[in-house]
Amino acid sequence: MNFDLNMDSYPWLTTIALLPLVGSLLVILLPKNNAKLAKTVALAFSLVTLGAVIAMALNFDANSKEVFQFSESYAWIPAFGINFSFGVDGIALVLIALAATLVPVVILGGWDDAIESQGSVKGYFALVLVLEALMIGVFAATDVFLFYVFFEAMLIPVYFMIGRYGGPQRSYAAVKFLIYSLVGGLFMLASLIGLYVVSAQITGTGTFDFTTLVGLDIDPDIQKLLFLGFFFAFAIKAPLWPFHTWLPDAAGQSQPGTSVLLIGVLDKVGTFGMIRYCLEIFPAASTFYAPVVIAIALIGIFYGGFVALKQTDMRRLFAYSSMSHFGFIALGIFVFTSAGQTGSVVYMVAHGLSTAGLFIAAGYLMSRRGGSAQLSSFGGVNKVAPVLAGFFLIAALSSLALPGMVSFIGEFLVLLGAFQQYMWVGALATVGIVLTAAYVLRVYQKSMTGPLNPDCEGMKDLNGREITALVPIAALIIALGVFPAPLLNVINPAVDRVMTTVGVSDPEVTFPILTGTATSEGGSE
Amino acid sequence: MTVMPAEGLFSLMWLLIALPLAGAAILLFTGRRSNSWGPYLGVLTVSASAVLGVLLLIEMMGLPTEERTITQVAYQWVFVGNFSVDLAFQLDQLSMVFILLITIVGSLIHIYSLGYMSHDPDKRKFFGYLNLFVAAMLLLVMANNYLLLYVGWEGVGLASYLLIGFWQHKRSAAAAAKKAFIINRVGDVGLSLAIMLMFVTFGSVTFSDVFGSATQASEGTLTAIGLLLLLAAAGKSAQFPLQAWLLDAMEGPTPVSALIHAATMVTAGVYLIARSNIIYNNAEIAAMAVVIVALITIFMGAIIGSAKDDIKKALAGSTMSQIGYMMLAVGLGPIGYVFAIFHLLTHGVFKAGLFLGAGSVMHGMDDNVNMRRYGALRSVMVITFITFMAGYLAIIGIPPFSGFWSKDEIIHAAFERGWFIGGAAVLAAGITGFYMTRMVAMTFFGKKRWETDVHPHESPAVMTIPLIILGLGSTFMGMALLFWGDIESWLEPVVGYESEPTPLPTSAYIGITLVVVIIGAIIGWISYARREVPIDEPAGNWLTRAARKDLYGDAVNHALVVAPTNYAARALVWFDARAVDGFVNGSAAIVGGMSGRLRRTQSGFIRSYALSMVGGAVLVLLALLLVRI
Amino acid sequence: MNTFTAPEIDYVAIAPILIVAIAALLSVLTETFLPRSVRRTVQILLTFLSLIGAFVVLVINHSIRTITGGGAVAIDGPAIVLMGTILILSLLSAFLVAERSLDSLGDAFAPSASALPGSVDEREFSARGYFQTEIWTLFLFAVLGMLAFVVANDLLFMFVALEVMSLPLYLMVGMARRRRLLSQEAALKYFVLGAFSSAFFIFGAGLVYGFAGSISLLEIHDALSASAGETLLIVIGMAMLLVGLLFKVGAVPFHQWTPDVYQGAPTPVTAFMGATVKVAAFGAMMRLLYVAFSGIQWDWEIILWSVSILSMIIGSLIALTQSDIKRMLAYSAIAQSGFILVGVVAASPSGIAAVLFYLIAYGLVTVGTLAVVSMVRDPSGEATHLSKWAGLGKKSPVLGAVMAIFMLSLAGIPLTSGFVIKFSVFAAGIAEGDTWLVIAAVLASIVAAFFYVRVIVVMFFSAPNENTASVAVPSIFTTITVAATVTATLVLGIIPQPMIELLTNAGIFIR
Repeated sequence: MNFDLNMDSYPWLTTIALLPLVGSLLVILLPKNNAKLAKTVALAFSLVTLGAVIAMALNFDANSKEVFQFSESYAWIPAFGINFSFGVDGIALVLIALAATLVPVVILGGWDDAIESQGSVKGYFALVLVLEALMIGVFAATDVFLFYVFFEAMLIPVYFMIGRYGGPQRSYAAVKFLIYSLVGGLFMLASLIGLYVVSAQITGTGTFDFTTLVGLDIDPDIQKLLFLGFFFAFAIKAPLWPFHTWLPDAAGQSQPGTSVLLIGVLDKVGTFGMIRYCLEIFPAASTFYAPVVIAIALIGIFYGGFVALKQTDMRRLFAYSSMSHFGFIALGIFVFTSAGQTGSVVYMVAHGLSTAGLFIAAGYLMSRRGGSAQLSSFGGVNKVAPVLAGFFLIAALSSLALPGMVSFIGEFLVLLGAFQQYMWVGALATVGIVLTAAYVLRVYQKSMTGPLNPDCEGMKDLNGREITALVPIAALIIALGVFPAPLLNVINPAVDRVMTTVGVSDPEVTFPILTGTATSEGGSE
Repeated sequence: MTVMPAEGLFSLMWLLIALPLAGAAILLFTGRRSNSWGPYLGVLTVSASAVLGVLLLIEMMGLPTEERTITQVAYQWVFVGNFSVDLAFQLDQLSMVFILLITIVGSLIHIYSLGYMSHDPDKRKFFGYLNLFVAAMLLLVMANNYLLLYVGWEGVGLASYLLIGFWQHKRSAAAAAKKAFIINRVGDVGLSLAIMLMFVTFGSVTFSDVFGSATQASEGTLTAIGLLLLLAAAGKSAQFPLQAWLLDAMEGPTPVSALIHAATMVTAGVYLIARSNIIYNNAEIAAMAVVIVALITIFMGAIIGSAKDDIKKALAGSTMSQIGYMMLAVGLGPIGYVFAIFHLLTHGVFKAGLFLGAGSVMHGMDDNVNMRRYGALRSVMVITFITFMAGYLAIIGIPPFSGFWSKDEIIHAAFERGWFIGGAAVLAAGITGFYMTRMVAMTFFGKKRWETDVHPHESPAVMTIPLIILGLGSTFMGMALLFWGDIESWLEPVVGYESEPTPLPTSAYIGITLVVVIIGAIIGWISYARREVPIDEPAGNWLTRAARKDLYGDAVNHALVVAPTNYAARALVWFDARAVDGFVNGSAAIVGGMSGRLRRTQSGFIRSYALSMVGGAVLVLLALLLVRI
Repeated sequence: MNTFTAPEIDYVAIAPILIVAIAALLSVLTETFLPRSVRRTVQILLTFLSLIGAFVVLVINHSIRTITGGGAVAIDGPAIVLMGTILILSLLSAFLVAERSLDSLGDAFAPSASALPGSVDEREFSARGYFQTEIWTLFLFAVLGMLAFVVANDLLFMFVALEVMSLPLYLMVGMARRRRLLSQEAALKYFVLGAFSSAFFIFGAGLVYGFAGSISLLEIHDALSASAGETLLIVIGMAMLLVGLLFKVGAVPFHQWTPDVYQGAPTPVTAFMGATVKVAAFGAMMRLLYVAFSGIQWDWEIILWSVSILSMIIGSLIALTQSDIKRMLAYSAIAQSGFILVGVVAASPSGIAAVLFYLIAYGLVTVGTLAVVSMVRDPSGEATHLSKWAGLGKKSPVLGAVMAIFMLSLAGIPLTSGFVIKFSVFAAGIAEGDTWLVIAAVLASIVAAFFYVRVIVVMFFSAPNENTASVAVPSIFTTITVAATVTATLVLGIIPQPMIELLTNAGIFIR
C-alpha cells in the first residue's frame, strides 16, 4: 500500500503533528537570553495546532462508515511491512483534541515554571512542543509499529522534562519513570515482533497495519501470550495497580505542567492502547483476561483512594487519585458494554481536564509558597486568594465526578456499564465514589478553608495570565457535562466498532431482571 | 397518565431554573465588583422565579386534571447504546407545589438575608450560593428522569456544602461542610445504584417509563430499588442512620439553616420517595423499612431537640423529627403520601419562620446561640416573639395553626396502619410539645440571663417582614391548603390517595393527640418557665447527656467507618512504600548483586582466563556428545 | 605424476584486497626508507587512499559473484558487504588513529613501544617529541587480514587470514602512550589467549580434514551430505573451529580477555578492533557454518544457542556494575555478540541480512562511542571512570547529546539504528522458531537498557563537580568520525529501508 493518499483530502494529521515540531525547532533556534520570546512562540504554535485540530474535528464525519478518517499512508520500511500511516476514529480524535487543548494551557499555566538555573527555559518549552507532536502521532498512528515508535519516543522528551526541570529527587524520579516505561516497552516490542510473525504466517507477508491485523483471526493461545506484552506496557503507562509506583515519584518531582501532560494525556495512551490494540487485535485474549483486569482495576480504585487519603504532598495525592481513576477507566474498558467503554473514553477526557486544573492550580499555589506542595504549607487560602480557590474547587469537584460535570458522565457510564455486566462489580466500584469525595474534600479543606495559615498572609490572587490558563479548563468541564453530545457523537460509533470486533454486545434489558437474587440483595441493604 | 408537551406559558418553565442559575453565575463570576448590587440581583432572580411559578400554577389549575403533567425536552443529554437520557423537565402537581415552596420561601429568605448578612464582606458570594441552591433544588423537583434529578440532588448538596462552610475561617464550619458532603455521598451511592438497577430492569430512567412498567418487575427488584432510594433519601433528609451531619450543618448562617436545612433541601428525600410511590406501593419490605427508619428518626430528633441548649441545634433536632413524620407518612403508602407532602409544605413554612426567628434573636443577642443566656425577650423583640409563637403553635399542632392539620392527618393515617405506629407518632408529638415549649420558655419567658453588655433589639424591617409573612403562613396555610386548596385531590393524580377505615372516629385521634401534646407542653412549661434556668447546663440524666452528644451518632460513625478507613489507609501507605515499591527496588538490588558476584570471575589472571576457555570448550563438546547419545 | 598447476585467480574480483595488501607492503617500505619527518604524512595518505580506493573498487565490483583462487576465495554478496563494512569502519577508525590534538603530548601511542615503561629513554623519546608511525603498517595488515578472513573459502586460507588479522592487533593493543603497563598487560593477555584460540582453530581444522579429506568448505559440505553414518569427528572439529571464532567475537565463555583489552588498548585501537574484528569474525563464522557445516546445523545450533544466551545474560549483568566506561563497553560488546548470534542461529536469508545490518550499525556505534570516550579527558589522560562523567551533558551539551544517542542506540530505542537491528535479528529468530532464544534476548536487552541509560543519567542528571572531566577539542579527524557515525546511527534508525534492501539483495553465501 504505497502512497495511497488520495490527494483530494488534505493530510490533516501530518500537518497537525508537524506544526508543534516546527515550533519546537523554532524555539530552539531562538536566542538563549530571550526566554519570553521563546514562550510566546511556543504558545503561538500550540494555539495554531489547536486551531488546526478544531478545524479537523469539524470535518470529522461521525456517521462515516470508514474505520479511520483523514487516513494517510506512506511506505516506511516495506521490508517489515511497516507504513507511516495516520488516521483517527472518534476515540483518537477526542484524545488528540484533549492533547491539543492541554498543551497551550500548560504553556500558559507553567509560564514561569522552568527556571534558568535548572536548564534553558526555551529548552523546556521546546520539549513540550516535541511531546505534543509525539502525542498526536501516538493517537493518530494506524500502524502498530508506528504506534510503538511514538509510544517509546514519547519517553525521551518526558524523561528530560522530569529529569531536568523538577524537584530535588527529579533524577531518581526520571530514571524510575524511564526504566518502568522501557521495561514495559520492551515486553511490548516482544509481542510486536510476535504479532509480525503471526501475521507473516497467516497472510504470507508480515504487516503492522492495524486494520489488517484486526482482520486476522489469531489462535487464542497465541493471543493470550501476545496480549500480555501489550497489556503490561499499557498497564505500566496507565498506570494500573501494582505497576504504579513510578507515578507518585514522577508527579511529585516534576513541574506541574509536566505532570499535566504526563498524567493528563500521556498516561491515557495506556488506556487508549488497551481499548484500541488489546481489545481489537486480541479479542479472545481480552475476554479471557477480563476478570483479572477487572480485579486489578477494582483494587486500584480503592487502593489509590485509600493511599491518597494519607498523602501530605498535593502532587503525590493527585497521582494516587489518578491511579484510582485509571482503575475506573480500565474497569469500563474491560466490562465489554458500550456504556462502559464510551464511559471510559469520556472519563479519559474528563480526567485529563480535571488533572490539568488540579496540577496547574497546585502549581500556582507552589509558586506562591516557595515551591512547597505540602498541604501543611497552606490553609485558609480561600480568604486571601478566592479566585485561585474557586478554580481549585471546580477542578476538585470535577475530580470527584460531581453530577453536571463531564467527569460525572464518564464515571456514571463506566459504573453503569460495569453494573450491566457484573452487578456486584458495579455496586462495589460505586462505593468508591465515597472514598473519592473523602480525599478530594480533604485537600480542599486543608489547603483552602479553615483558619488562614500565617505563612499565606498576603498571598496574591491569580493574575490575568494565570486565570486565562484555567478558564478553558473550567469551561470545558462544565460545558461538556451539560452538553456531552459532541463527545458522545464521535465516541459511540468507534466504541460500537470495538464491540463488534471483539464480538460482544450489550446485555439485554429484561423484565424482571433478577428474580431471586434481588431479595437477597434487598436483604443485604 | 398522559404526558403533555410544554406549550404557551409552560414553554417558559425552564426559566424557573435558568433565572436563579444565571443569577448565581453572574454573582460568582463577576467577583467583588458585584458586592454592591449583587445581593439585590440575587433576590430579584428568585422572586422572578416565584412570580413565574405562581403564574404557572394558575395556568395549571386551568387545565383538566389528566393534562396537568407537562414535559419540556431540551435535548438528548446522555446516549450510549440503548441507554438514552434527555435533559428534560416535568411539571406536574407534585413538582408544582415544590416549586412554589422553594421559590416563595426562598425569596423571603433572600430578602431576610439582605438584613442578616448586611455586614458580611462576602455577601455577594453568599447570595450567589443561595441562587445556586434554588436553581439546583428546582432542577431536582423538575427533572423528568432520575439521572437529571441526580444532578439537582448533588447540586443542592454542593450548595449546602458551600453554605455550611460559608464562614470557613471557623475550622468547625469547614469540617461540618465536609462531613455533610461525605455522608450525603453515601446516600448518593444508593441513588446511583438505584438508577443503574432501574436501567437494567426497565431500560430507561425516565419517570414515565419506569412507573409505566414498574408493576412488571419482580418484587425483589422493586424492593432493591426501594431500599437503595431509601438510602439516598436518608442521606439527604438526615434520617437514621445518616442523620449525623444535620446538627453540625447549623454552622452555616441561619438563613441557610432555614432554607436548606429546614424548609427545602432536607425534604428532598421525602420528595424522592413520594415521586417513586409506585415502586414502594409494590415493594412491601421497602415501604416497611421506610416506616422503621422514620420512627427511629422521629424519636432521635425529638430527644436531641429536648436536650440541646443551642437554639439552632434544638431546631435542627426538631427538623429531623418532623421530616421523620413525613417519611413515616410516605412509608405508609397511598394513605400517607398526600399528607407527607402537606406536612412538608406547612413545615417548610413554619420551620423557616422559626429558624428566621431564631436568627433574629441571635441577631439581637450578638450571635449568641445559647438559650441559657436568653430569657424574657418577648418584650424587647415583639414581632419576632409573635411570629415565633405562631410557628411554635403550628409545630406542636394546636388548631387552627397549620401544623395541626398536616400532622394530625399523618397521625391519623398512622393509626390506619396500626396502633403501634399511631401510638408512637402520638408520643413523639408529645415530646415535640415538650421541647418546643422548652425552647420558647427559655428564650422569651423567665428571667433575663443575658451576657453583660448585650442590648437585645428588634431586627430591621427587612428581616421582620419575612417573619411576619411566614408567621401568617404558619397560622393560615394549613387551612388554606386543606379546605381551599384541596390538597388531597390536587396531589392524588400523582401520588395516589386512599384511606382505610379506623376503629375510632377521626375526632378521637385528634383528641388523644391534643391531650398528649398539651401534657408535653405543660411539663416543658413547668420545668423551664416556672423554674429558674441555670446558666451553665446541669449534669442531667444519662438520656440528656446522650442527647447532648447527638445520641452518639458521631461516635458510632467514627467507630464503624472513620477509624477503619484511617487504619486501612495507613496500612496501605506502608504497603505501597515497602512492599510494592520495595519489590521494584529490591529486584534491582538483586540483579546488581548477581552482577557483583559474576564480576569476581574476572580475576585478571591470564591462567584463569585460559582455564575458563578450556572449560568452555569442554562444556561445548560434552553438550554435543550428550545430545548425540 | 601430477604437476603443480597454478590456480586461476580472478584478480579483478580480489582487487580490493590486493590494493590494501600493496598499501601494507608500501607502508613497510615507508618505515624502512623514508625520513621520520615525512613518514606520518605518507602513511596517512597510504592508508586513506588505499582504504578509499579499495572501497571504490568494491563498489564497482559489487555485482561480482565468483569462487576463485582454486576455491580458496569466495566473492559473494555477503563477502562484498562485509568487506565494504570493514573498509568503512577501518577508515573511520583511521581518523581516530590519526588524531593528534586531543592529547597534550600528541597522539594516543607510545613514541617507542619497545622502550620500557618509565625508563630513561622513554622519557627521552617523548621529550624529543618522537612519534612512531609503525602503527599504520600494523593497521593496514590487520585490515588486510580481515578482508581476507571474510572471503576465505577454505580452512587453511581462513587460518592464515585469521593470523594476519590478529598479530598486528596484539601489537597495537600494547602501544598506549599513557598507562603503558596496563596496555602491555592487555596486549600480552590478548596475544596468549589469542594464540590459544588459534590452536583450537587449527586443531579443529585438522579434525575436519580428517573427516572430509579436504580443507575446502565446499568439499567439506559435500562430504557431510555424502556421509550416511558417524559424524562425531567432524562435529568435534566444527566445535573447535567455533571456539576459535567465538573467542574473536568475545562470546561467553571465551570472553574474559575483552574487558582488559578494551580498557588497556589505546582508545583508537579499541574502536578499530571493537568494530571490525566482530565484522570479520562473524562473517567468517557464517560462511563456515552455512557453507561447510549446513549438514550438521542441528549440532552447531545447540552450541550457538547456549553461547548466545550466556553472552547476552552474563554480559548484560556484569556490565550493570562497571564503573569504567571502557570496561562497560567491553561487556556490552559481549552482550551484543550474544544478540548477533541470535541472527546467526536463525541461518536464513533474512537472518544473514539481519546479522550484516547488525554488524554495520553496531560497528558504527562502537567507533562513534569510543571516539567520544577519547575526547573526554582530565590531566592524567582519558577520563574513563564514570564518576568523572558526572554532569558532562551540562558542561558540553553537544557531546552529551551525541553520547546519549549512541547509548540509546545500544539500548535499542526506536529511531536509532540499534532498534532496527535488534528488531531484524529478533524477527529473523522468531521466524526460524527460536522463540525462547528471542524471549531470552528481550529479557537481556531489558537488563542491558539499565546500564546504557545509566551513562545518560550520569551525564545529564548529576551536577558537575570538581573532578568532572573536561572535553578536549578534537581536530578535523575525530570530528569527521563522530559526525559520520552519529548521522549514520540516526539515518539507519529512521530510514533503514534502503540499507535493508541492499543487504537483502546481497543474498546468501555462495557454495
